Amino acid sequence: MFRLTRGKWILPVVLAGTIAAACSSNSSSSTTTTTGAAAAVGAIESPPAAATTLSETGSTLLYPLWNIWAPAYQQKYPQVTINTAGTGSGTGISDASNGTVDIGSSDAYLSNSQVAARPTLLNIPLAISIQVIAYNIPGVSAHVKLSGKVLSEIYQGKITTWNDPAIASANPGLTLPSIPIVALHRSDGSGDTFIFTQYLSKQDATGWGASVSYGTTVQWPSTPGGLAENGNGGMVTGCKATPGCIAYVGISFLSQLLGDGLNYGQLLSGGGNYVLPTPTAVQAEATFFAPRTPANGTISLVNGPVADGYPIINYEYAIVDSQQQSTSTATAIRSLLQWAISPTNGNSSQYLSQVNFQPLPTTVVAQSTKQIASIK
Amino acid sequence: MSMMTRDATGTRGRRMRELAFRGMTLLALVLVVGPAAWILIGVVARAVPHWQWSVLVTPTSGATGGLSQDIVGTLVLMAGVLVVAGTLGILAGVYLSELAPPTSSGRAGGRLFRSATEVLSGVPSITLGFVAYVALVVGLHWGFSLLPAVIVLSVMVIPYIAKSTETALSQVPTGYREGAEALGMSPSYSLRKIVIRSAIPGVVTGLLLALAIAGGETAPLLLTAGNTSSYPTGALLHQPIGYLTYPVWTFYNYPSDQAHYLAYDAALILVVIVMVLLVVSRVIVARTQRHAEGGRG
Amino acid sequence: MALTGRDAGAVPASPPGLGTGRNSVFRRMSSFGRSHETWAWKWTGWAAAAVPLFALTFTVIVLLVKAWPSIRVNGGFFVSGSAWKPGNTYGATVYTHGVAHPLGSSYGAWPLIVGTLQTSGIAVVLALPISLGAAFALTEQLPSWLARPLAFAVEILAGIPSVIIGLWGVLTLGPYLAQHVYPIIADHVPDVPVLRYFRNPVGHGEGLATSGIVLALMIIPIITATTRDLFVQVPPLPKEGAIALGMTNSEVARRMTIPWVRSGIIGATVLGLGRALGETIAVAMVSGAALNTIAPNIYGTMGTIAAAIVTQLDSAYTDGTGFAVSALAEAALVLAAITIAANVIARLIINRTSRNGAPVGRGI
Repeated sequence: MFRLTRGKWILPVVLAGTIAAACSSNSSSSTTTTTGAAAAVGAIESPPAAATTLSETGSTLLYPLWNIWAPAYQQKYPQVTINTAGTGSGTGISDASNGTVDIGSSDAYLSNSQVAARPTLLNIPLAISIQVIAYNIPGVSAHVKLSGKVLSEIYQGKITTWNDPAIASANPGLTLPSIPIVALHRSDGSGDTFIFTQYLSKQDATGWGASVSYGTTVQWPSTPGGLAENGNGGMVTGCKATPGCIAYVGISFLSQLLGDGLNYGQLLSGGGNYVLPTPTAVQAEATFFAPRTPANGTISLVNGPVADGYPIINYEYAIVDSQQQSTSTATAIRSLLQWAISPTNGNSSQYLSQVNFQPLPTTVVAQSTKQIASIK
Repeated sequence: MSMMTRDATGTRGRRMRELAFRGMTLLALVLVVGPAAWILIGVVARAVPHWQWSVLVTPTSGATGGLSQDIVGTLVLMAGVLVVAGTLGILAGVYLSELAPPTSSGRAGGRLFRSATEVLSGVPSITLGFVAYVALVVGLHWGFSLLPAVIVLSVMVIPYIAKSTETALSQVPTGYREGAEALGMSPSYSLRKIVIRSAIPGVVTGLLLALAIAGGETAPLLLTAGNTSSYPTGALLHQPIGYLTYPVWTFYNYPSDQAHYLAYDAALILVVIVMVLLVVSRVIVARTQRHAEGGRG
Repeated sequence: MALTGRDAGAVPASPPGLGTGRNSVFRRMSSFGRSHETWAWKWTGWAAAAVPLFALTFTVIVLLVKAWPSIRVNGGFFVSGSAWKPGNTYGATVYTHGVAHPLGSSYGAWPLIVGTLQTSGIAVVLALPISLGAAFALTEQLPSWLARPLAFAVEILAGIPSVIIGLWGVLTLGPYLAQHVYPIIADHVPDVPVLRYFRNPVGHGEGLATSGIVLALMIIPIITATTRDLFVQVPPLPKEGAIALGMTNSEVARRMTIPWVRSGIIGATVLGLGRALGETIAVAMVSGAALNTIAPNIYGTMGTIAAAIVTQLDSAYTDGTGFAVSALAEAALVLAAITIAANVIARLIINRTSRNGAPVGRGI
């Protein structure tokens, strides 16, 4: 073998040094924008005058809304570039935690272990999202009444046909065919799975709650013909192709699923009525939880004891580290988030109605404002 | 010889087997070419009805607009892979084919390198992407950017380039090398001027195919390149870059028809880029073979 | 064929200083340059050839570091157990052997291992004869004006991104197979022990059979291209002699061509098998991505290790203890071990069968 010269080690050392130098010279230019005290509700700071780039990634449920917000915000403040991506709630939390992105999006609030891993992480409610239960029953165009217990048994394989007595008893006057139920669930880790399994766990505490429980991914019991689909879009197309299917879908896909011939059900609320996901019903549920929302925003909005409240709703969270590397990035983040939660800007129906989301209750807007002000 | 007998291996049986053989090989070819055509037709059929030429020059805005920054991003990534993986892969192929010492330790070393190459081509792209994410994007604080993406893509395609270079070099007749040495050329000179030059068609084909494979990757880029609607700035670090497989993977699941159209458009553009690369490689092969003796058919 | 280390253009022993003719400084510089140029080729070539080895080692080390918590806690259960349980990521954190993980979490990857081996096995079983047949058709039977565009079509198949093939598999191929092909097979297969695997229910197109077919389509170009190159290298004289003696094409193929290039074909198959084992996105889309199921029949949904990694990675991040990510890293290590094992077995087969030391297929 030929001899390598002494100089063989120079190259890696030089390389390592260059890399170390490159990564330490990230944007640390501190502008002297005075941020002032906690901004009043609705007031929006201006981002730094110099060109800034913000990166967002996370929940695929919030991704369509970010894609509507970002161009609108950039029109107002052209010096800010916003990069969005839809990679999943878990990635959003993780990337925000290790500093790879500025804003992570998540349908699920932070867990204790995630907060323990990075105590300065905030979950800031941005809007209210809703989940519907879609199904493909040929010949049935009504909104079938479903409860958490019935859904839990469907997803455990205990109820296998649509004309099962458990479903029929909740739907007097509706003839359901005897076709088998095909239960679809998400194959990728998902905030939709998180809130759906929360609903099942709360309404069937001894059954589903005790055995499967909730999470962004769970160990789904095997059901006859049950399928795993990738993404909300996969749930919709999979359900469209499978007569007898049932699937949980985020409300931003409502027009898709209606256009594909699917329908959605009325769900049993925590208060005992079967409720459709109308804005009124969602507001009723949100109003119950608004005063109970803690300052850090961590709360489940599922299955509140509201008779006419739609039971599967959740806050969509921005996951941000309150300790930012540079003050200019912090200012830009604060500005963007304040714009997003402002009832006259991001939280107005002009944007939210495009994805069928609902705005935050006023008290929660104030709480989010306080959280945003703590980003430095 | 058994051909003269009239038992099961008799003339009629052999003729039938011959016909069956011909039929089956043609059927095999149909089974390969058919799905390829089916896929291409499917992509075109979905993209063409809603195609707009503005897609090529408008950047993405949210989930509408065009794909121009993704096109530029994919081309920039391919260029980076060409430089990094092309150089390393060709050098590796040359070394393994020509320069590895014929001693037993040299042969063992060559076998080790080759085995590592084969095993590496079996590691899932998501695993390499994950390792790059952990080590480069997060570990070295590079963030989502061009350099970790180019590195992970290059690592993925170096095995293909090295192997095709080695195969191409192995097809160069040994007479060329022996003649060059007899004429007094140094090994490196004959390598440069004679051997590699004769192997260019095979090397180029492998190179362009590797570029096509790199441009079509999704999982490792999701973890290293991030996503953006702005054009690449040339920054190696801290600046995410768009690429065409992103809309195909993400917009397909998006709740808007506009996004679906963009996904199909991106698929069509990717297929066109792949075909252009393959056509270019054919042209280069044909050109260089006009000057070489006895080109392969 | 390696050149010797001795430089053919060595520096002649002549006094230093400028001169003319054979001793001119330019000639000495160029000889000097030439010998160092060879050295430069060797050095950079060695470094370049070492890159895959370095990358592989680096990957394994990073994976080991990340997988250590899972190895410690799950132990042997990881390869034998059938339950992929993330536990309650929002519940309590418990400690086993000093490793923090959510209550109730334990990871068993046996169904994923089975799924990986099944899909790759089906892919190779389907791809090998089809590739060989296609290679024969392209090199021996079709006229070159027809063979060239068809060979181009095969190369295109190699270059199509896997996400597009996955989409096509989900949207077009899967439903087509489920509606037109699988029912025919399922209805006509007798109810006998082994063949029972091919009977109903047929499902909707996402499952083991479709995954195997899609994977086969992805590795066919690799094997076909390599085999084509190998067939061209087979010396024509023995073949022509055989035909002159009256052997048919099929006999020439069976008795002469294939044995001549057998080690090369095995090498190409191993490369294709490697690609099949590691294919991520396309399989994630068409397999149904089930984590805990071994397909009950050939049409059933299942999961592979690579598909599980890509679908579960995001959800693994919601486990703040890092245990879920650790389990996925361990799954990646298991897959790397499977790939290495396949590689070793293939090399053993090659070494056994290439006694005649045929020069074709060298280096594969």
